[in-house]
Amino acid sequence: MSIDVRNVSFCYNKGTSLERRALDNVSLSVEKGEFVLIGGEVGSGKSTLIRHFNGLLKPQSGLVTVSGINSTNKAVRSKAVLLMQYPQKQLFGKTVFDDVSFGPSNFGLKGEALNKRVIDALNLVGLDHSVSALSPFSLSGGQMRQVALAGVLAMNPEYLILDEPTSGLDPENRSLLLSTLKKLHSTGISVIVVSHQVCELFPLAEKVVLLKHGSIAFTGTPAEYLRSVSSPLPEVTLLMKELNKAGFNVRDDIFSADAAFHEISNALVKKGVKRYG
Amino acid sequence: MDDLFLSFVPVNSILHRLDPRTKIIGLMLASICILKASSFMEITLIMFVFLILLFICHLPVMHFVRSVRPMLLFFAILFLVQLFFTEGTVIFSFKWLSVSYEGLVLGTIITLRFVFLLLFASLLTATTSPSRITAGIESFLRLLPLKHIGISSHDFAMMMSLSIYFAPLLYDNFRSLRDAQISRGLDIKKEPVKAIFSISIPLVATSVRRVEEVAMAMESRCYSGIGRTSMYVMEFRRMDYLFYLLYFFIFSFFTMPYFKGYIII
Repeated sequence: MSIDVRNVSFCYNKGTSLERRALDNVSLSVEKGEFVLIGGEVGSGKSTLIRHFNGLLKPQSGLVTVSGINSTNKAVRSKAVLLMQYPQKQLFGKTVFDDVSFGPSNFGLKGEALNKRVIDALNLVGLDHSVSALSPFSLSGGQMRQVALAGVLAMNPEYLILDEPTSGLDPENRSLLLSTLKKLHSTGISVIVVSHQVCELFPLAEKVVLLKHGSIAFTGTPAEYLRSVSSPLPEVTLLMKELNKAGFNVRDDIFSADAAFHEISNALVKKGVKRYG
Repeated sequence: MDDLFLSFVPVNSILHRLDPRTKIIGLMLASICILKASSFMEITLIMFVFLILLFICHLPVMHFVRSVRPMLLFFAILFLVQLFFTEGTVIFSFKWLSVSYEGLVLGTIITLRFVFLLLFASLLTATTSPSRITAGIESFLRLLPLKHIGISSHDFAMMMSLSIYFAPLLYDNFRSLRDAQISRGLDIKKEPVKAIFSISIPLVATSVRRVEEVAMAMESRCYSGIGRTSMYVMEFRRMDYLFYLLYFFIFSFFTMPYFKGYIII
């Protein structure tokens, strides 16, 4: 049970003067329940890759299967669900309920079951069910994002794929999103996040994939990533590296703020700084 | 991908370097010739002119094939209507449908006229960047007495370039929305009405927001329609004059027989 990408290549505008190679012989697998972070610069093929996961793009060569089903089969779209960048743009329903129920009703869910699915999805993203009667256009930007996320969660996916989910969010909504993702992951859903800023989601990830010019430059655990990749690194890790250079003896394979705080205060105590509290 | 329809392809060629006004006038004259063409001889001549232009514009033939392809259905209907509903010598009949010789000739000529109109238009758009086309049209508009009714040609030009600027944005937006709704299980072929609503509503909403942003950005940079200059300085070079000479010969060749009273239909 996994998403399997085998030797996939993809070219935009194939056979024209504007031909652009986006993916070059990429192989990757995402196990069920895994939290995967896909990083890479703008234009490295991240978005093209995830569009293959739910069959929006068909591989020009190679094969993509989701839980054993070929991605060209439309059934994969309810298993691997993709939330686009700036998803608040995609809302269209008269009410929030209409919009969130769009996905599941496309897959034949009706009546009470549909009702329950929508309310559950709204609760899961941290919205009160009272918003379901409002127009999505009357909500704030952050809430619209939450509704859009609920709209894909209502499809009850096995794999949730998010394209740059944190871009343009304020810190409050960002931490809300991160905690929602953490919660979803703990219920057994695979979360695949694409971001050109690897840092924010680093503490949540179990596997990190780095794309460069359409091919995979690195796959492995976050710890392996810190050991073998020189850039891009999380800010916290960069700070620890700088501190090391400045003569503090701290570990530089740390990427979460809490661990860094602990490490730095220990180093300071060793240097003879008195500790209060 | 279908986004190459009537798009600009930057290459360095004689046609690309021509003044946009020369090309716009050329397209106008070519359109008149094409619409006047009523015999295979004339259509062949037009084809000949097109092939020469195709050769000197250094663009792949596929680009032009692609600009005709979206209209194939329209051409087919156009041809069939002429084929079946023109009266004359019947050469073939099937139940109540009959094909006449005249219909076959007329259908072919009319269809070819539209094909060539489209091909010449795509020759203009492929060799001239949108902003240059706008600059060219603006300079033509300046000749009209629009000032007296309170419209400046700058306003027109700005409206044109803004709509050209929005076309690709609109298309990008459309594509991402289509992908988003397909990801949520929309089947465009099975449920076209649902598809129209779920894509057009957010498309209009985002476009209105986009337009407002652009208007605000123009306001904040003190846009006023008067006294604007263009980034491109248009000037006629030797090659432009040569083209006008060619226009004169070709155009008079096509229109002369009519003056003389030969009307070939």
